[in-house]
Parts: sequence; C-alpha cells; structure tokens
Amino acid sequence: MVAEIEERVVPHEPGLRESVDARWPAGFLLALPSLAVFVGVGFIPLALIATWSFWSFDPDTYWIKPAWSFASYAALFENGRATVFLRTAGLAALTATASTLLAVPAAGLIGLLSGPRRAALLLALFTIPFFTSGLVRAFAWRLVLGRQGIINNALMSLGIVVTPVEWLLFSDFAVLLGMVAAYLPFAIVPIVLAFARIEHSVIRASQDLGAGFWTVFATIVLPLVLPGIVAGFLFVFVVAVGTSMEIQLLGGAGASSISIMINDVLRVVNFPLAFAIATVVITLLTVLIIIANRALRLSRLFESLGI
Amino acid sequence: MSFDAIVRGRTSGGRLLFTTITALSLAIMYAPVLYLLLASLNPDAQLGLVPPSRYSLKWYFALLDDGRLAGALKESALVGLATAALATPIGLSAALAYRAMTRLRGVFLLVILSAMFVPGTIEGLGLSATLRVVGLAPSWVTIAIGHLLWTLPFAAVVSLIGLSAVRPSTIAAARDLGAGPIRAFVDITLPLMRTNLISSFVFAFLLSLNEQARAYYLAGRQNTLPLYMFGAMNSGASPTIYAFSGTIIVVSVAVVALVFAGLVGQQSRRPRQAPGKTSY
Repeated sequence: MVAEIEERVVPHEPGLRESVDARWPAGFLLALPSLAVFVGVGFIPLALIATWSFWSFDPDTYWIKPAWSFASYAALFENGRATVFLRTAGLAALTATASTLLAVPAAGLIGLLSGPRRAALLLALFTIPFFTSGLVRAFAWRLVLGRQGIINNALMSLGIVVTPVEWLLFSDFAVLLGMVAAYLPFAIVPIVLAFARIEHSVIRASQDLGAGFWTVFATIVLPLVLPGIVAGFLFVFVVAVGTSMEIQLLGGAGASSISIMINDVLRVVNFPLAFAIATVVITLLTVLIIIANRALRLSRLFESLGI
Repeated sequence: MSFDAIVRGRTSGGRLLFTTITALSLAIMYAPVLYLLLASLNPDAQLGLVPPSRYSLKWYFALLDDGRLAGALKESALVGLATAALATPIGLSAALAYRAMTRLRGVFLLVILSAMFVPGTIEGLGLSATLRVVGLAPSWVTIAIGHLLWTLPFAAVVSLIGLSAVRPSTIAAARDLGAGPIRAFVDITLPLMRTNLISSFVFAFLLSLNEQARAYYLAGRQNTLPLYMFGAMNSGASPTIYAFSGTIIVVSVAVVALVFAGLVGQQSRRPRQAPGKTSY
C-alpha cells in the first residue's frame, strides 16, 4: 500500500467505457473465483454455525443433533458470559481510542507535512510489522514489562521504586499496550488514505486568507478526514474484538475475552454454545460495518489508492 | 496516492507535536522487538541484556537441533506456499473483475475485504465444524483453506494497486494492433504487474506463516510454527524461544522491506504520463 500511484487511470478516452460495458460477463467470470472462496470458506461456514447454534449437544456422538432450542442463547447470560462480552467490547473500544489518538497525528505527519519520500518511508515503517508475527510482538512485551524487564530494572536502578512494579505485566495495562502496538496500522492506513484525498488548493486558499496551521487543521483538515478517522477507529475495534493472543500472553490471571471464552466452551465440547457466541459476535460486527459503510461510504476511501 | 507536503511553512508547534507522537508510536511498535533481539544474543540462561562483547549466537545454534521445530517449519512452509499460490491468482482475478465491473463494484470490494474482519477464532471454528461434517480430516490442506480466505483481501488490494497503474490506453493500443484480450493480458498487463504479483505472493505467504487463531482450529496432528511457538512461550520459556522469535522477526522484516523497496522502485521507474498532477 506504500506504492504511490502517480497516474490515476480512470478511462477518460471516449469509447473505452463502452468497451468495458460490453465485457460485463468477463467481469462476472473474473469475480467467480474470489466469490467462490468468500461463499464457500466464509459465508457457508458462518451460516452453518448460525443454524447449528439452535441445535443441541448430542452426548452419543459428542457432536450436535437437530433438536431446536434457544438454550445456548439463554446460556449467554449465565456464568458471567455477558460480562466477558462487555469487557471485550470495552477493551477493544479503549484500544481503538488510543490507536486513533496516535494515528491522527502520525497520519497527519505523513499526509500533510512530509514529501513523497518520507511519506513512503513512514508508511512502510507503520505497515511492515503487520506482516511479521503478532505472537512474537506480543511476547516481546513480556520481556519489557516483566519483573526483570527493562522498565522495572531501570526504575529500580534509578531508585524510583524498591520492588518491581507488578501491574506492568499480566494486567489490562499490558494487554492495552500490546494491542495498540499491534493494531495501530489498522487505524493509520484509512486515515492516511483520507488525507490523500484532500484537495491541496483548499489548504492553500485558507492559508492565503491568513489561517494558521491549527486553524487549517481544525476547521479544514479534520472535517475532511473524519470518515477516515471513524474507519480507522472501527477497523481497530473490530480486529481487537476478535483477538485473543495479547490477552493470553499479557493478560492477568482470569482475564478473558470472547475468543478465549469460545476456546474454553469448546474444551467442554459445548458446540452449540460456542456457535451461539460466534453468531452474536458476527451479527454485531456485520451490523456495525454496514452502518458505518452507509454513513461513511467506506469503499470510497480506496479511491485514494487510484483503484 | 501521492503526498506533497501540502502544508508548508510555520506550523506553530504542530510539526513538533506530530513528529513526537509519530516517534512514540513507532517506538511502541519496534522497541520491544528490538529488545527481544538483543536479549536473544545473551548467552546466559537468565533474561537480560549483556555488553556487546559477550553477544553470542548460542541459542540460535541450539535451534538447529530442535526436531519439533523442523516439523513445524515444514508444515508452515507447506501451508504458506499453498495459500500464496492460490491467493495470488484469485486476488488478481478479483482485481481484474473489479476493473471490468461498472455496477456493484463497491459492494464487490466490500465483500472481498470483509474477510479481513472476521475474527480468526470464529472463522476457524466455523470452518473446522463445516469440514468435520464434509468429512475432510484436519491437515495442512484445511489450514491452507482457512488461510486462503484470510489472505485474499490483501492479495486483491495489492493486485488492484498494480492494475491501477496499467493504463487502459496501453491495452487499447495492443488491441488496436490486433492482439486478442488474452494476448494483451499476457503480453502487457502481466509484465507491468510483475512486482505487485510477487508482493501479493510474499504478503500472502507471510500472513499465513504468522497466523495462529485459525490454524489452532484447523491443524491436524502436526503443529504450525505459531502453534509451536505459542506452546513454548507459555511453558517456562527456554532462551531458544527468544532466538526463534528473533529469527522469525528478522526474516519477515527483511522480506517485507525488500518487497516495499521493490514496489517503490517500480513506481519511480515508471515513466510519467504528463507533468503536473491530476486532481481527484
């Protein structure tokens, strides 16, 4: 996504649009493989588990049988499961807020204040970690935040504390830090794409009329990139809701999340309950994305990529 | 996408503030991993940093004798290669479809990208339950099926970016000179997109290599690398896990940096169509 597209290629040439129109079956045929993957590997399994969430456990086969029931949905409100839902959503919202607060200035530096070379370099620096192991990046925080980690060692050798600070690791603080570091790129990329859509002349005009940097930023830039900011927040939120490894590696004893709860429920082979939890999450996330797309036309953000 | 330092001149501290926050963001993304890398060079069994004179690759050599690691590495390589070999052409075909579409292209893009946001645990759960009913036993094949859906959005976007740099007029010229649609695609479009297709393959491979949540549900008896690592991280870590984490990070970062450099280099080598900017 670092690639800069210098030439926007939307067919200007007369006649070209018609030739594309005439080939619409080609477009359909070309879409088939990816749609087949989407339907076969994505949609059908999710639709199946949504159906099976209304079935019942079968002790004879250790699987499920088609005895329709709402028991799994009632069980969502037992054993503190509703609390896990709320906690997961809360932590994800906190992660998304912190990521957005960091991402707006970073995207601003990339989109407003940097030349093409430095913008490409910064964008690369922010996206490279995404393609490396999330497990290792979460695990690395253990070394930094642990009792013998670099932070506690530094605090103790400076005489600021006498005993290691315990809440640094295996705490919500550690999870939040790990998740922000991991999912920041999800906030930065849409905001950078939004910055790239700003008309330079609008900025010039306001500067010519005497507006200072902060006036331009607050009154011109921020409203223009708001869809990108909301998209960035939403992307981080959605990804953070689904993750489990930061909590498993950095969270305190008993810390849970929706994904961990699904794993736990499956350990006692309660398939219908696991399916019910998954169905609720997917339904809520889908509704959230559809609303955001209606309000913000998210797919338009990608126009900045020249596609 | 093109950046041009659109705000110049005095920023009343804005530049300083933005730069500071950017540096802080990069620090939380990179500093822990750098610390892990340095700690992995410590030859003692105890965690911590040692002076550079004592740096040693002891734990890295210890990795070579780990048989379980070799098995996991082989499994992950198999899954990654199969995933990338499928995701790259399917992503390209999705990108071509998007370009050829006139209606519903926004919906199509959203559908393809939506897979990015399905939580790994839930996709793994749904797919493993479905495959159980279908009767496909868990193996590297089932992991690759799950990873195909996960990597496809990224492969499609990389192909779309590459395709946007192929000018329709170039294709039209080839067609005017008598090339059929397939000939024009093979002789013009594919060579122009070479760098993006390589990137697409590499990104899909790396995303698959490092994916854990789906693999947890879809793997058979043989663990993949992240599954092996997760076990090692939670069982009184021996220092070899630092060395192994270090290897994974260094190799991934080096490969992605090379690919990014290739993409940027390709952009700057491409002849400009006309001076000045188009304003969209």
